[in-house]
Amino acid sequence: MTHLPDLPDAIRSLWPYRPNFARVNGWRMHYVDEGAGDPVVLLHGNPTWGFLYRDFVGPLTRAGRRVIIPDMIGFGLSEKPTREHAHSLDGHIANLTALLRYLDLQRIALVCHDWGGPTGLGFALSNRERMHALVVMSTWAWPLPPAEFHTRIFPWRMMHAPLVGPYLLGRHNALAARGIYLSVVDRETFRARAQAAYTAVLPDPASRLLTWTWPRWIPLDDQARAFTRFRWLEQELRSCTLPTLLIWGREDDVFDPATFAGKFKALLPHAEGPHLVTGRHFLQEDSGPEIAARIVEFLQRQGRQP
Amino acid sequence: MSKVEVERKPELVGKRRALVLIEDRIGHYPEFRDFFSRTFDLARRGLAEPGYVSAPSGLTHALVFIGRSGEPFPAGVEIHALVPELEPLDDDAVDRDLWAILCWMIEGVGGEWSVADLIATAKLLRVPSASE
Repeated sequence: MTHLPDLPDAIRSLWPYRPNFARVNGWRMHYVDEGAGDPVVLLHGNPTWGFLYRDFVGPLTRAGRRVIIPDMIGFGLSEKPTREHAHSLDGHIANLTALLRYLDLQRIALVCHDWGGPTGLGFALSNRERMHALVVMSTWAWPLPPAEFHTRIFPWRMMHAPLVGPYLLGRHNALAARGIYLSVVDRETFRARAQAAYTAVLPDPASRLLTWTWPRWIPLDDQARAFTRFRWLEQELRSCTLPTLLIWGREDDVFDPATFAGKFKALLPHAEGPHLVTGRHFLQEDSGPEIAARIVEFLQRQGRQP
Repeated sequence: MSKVEVERKPELVGKRRALVLIEDRIGHYPEFRDFFSRTFDLARRGLAEPGYVSAPSGLTHALVFIGRSGEPFPAGVEIHALVPELEPLDDDAVDRDLWAILCWMIEGVGGEWSVADLIATAKLLRVPSASE
């Protein structure tokens, strides 16, 4: 029997979608699958889950799209491994690849955010025959340098330091309970309407492992574990001709638009944008309907399968 | 400052180990692994026995080091509170102990790592121990 966490009623009303599960790469992955048409796959990052895209499902399905929203293994309603070595960037790309091949999706429009960027682009660039378009928001896909924010001890490196990460982000769930709040613009609306959805699915310290594991996968030097994969991502992006839309939060102080959207624009000069919307790192919380409308319009211009 | 001190092996009769914190990757920043290796003489003692520290609640905590093939030792560490064998632990007291152990660790690691930054980070994240 599938166990779903007890989401507050107000949250459940915002997330009425039927849960689906698939065995991917050895893990049990939850995903939403709504509507019919060319598929749009929406990828979240750390420490969120599909709920981040609640404002996108209606507009996209009404526009004649099939919406697939997986919860990354370790987050949301998917299985949550309890050992750090269960997680790697390549492993998460393989998880996503397994799901999208299991669903046999073609002409995929991939929407990626945060760690949904390196994982989603990892899939897209190694399965180009299945791809149709990209939408990129507040993420990165190159080895160095990361944001200046990621090199500082306070607060970033301290937050996930040995033993400190398991204490602050594990015992105290600080990334879901506080980190997202700090990275939205309208904090009071977020607290009232959405925050409980993110904390409810990470109920125990062991369930929060990926919240401090992902930060440790951000390369800070050329000896980092994911350095070569990020270098490959950057190289492959240079030859990517997929129609691409860049959307960024105007107030994003983690992946600031000038540096990060600018770098994507340099790698993908044909990309549209960056279109700036109200938002910090979790821009979907502040500008969900506006972003969804922009994606619908962008995809309509790319045409449908005849 | 942090009220944590290294102890000799305590009397274990009538006690059980309660697992309270797990770190699978103590060497993510190598200076943390070096701190534990130095403090507990791990190059010589290896896996022979845990390290023990006393904490503000009066409890002793065992630091159980983990070895993993292909990685420098220690690869990880578990913190176990030593509590009366049939009694539940006081979770609030353990939380304060863990905070004290973190402060002690950061102070010992030193260099670019400071207790002031630990406190500032925990306060930013509204973790109660940082304000007590």
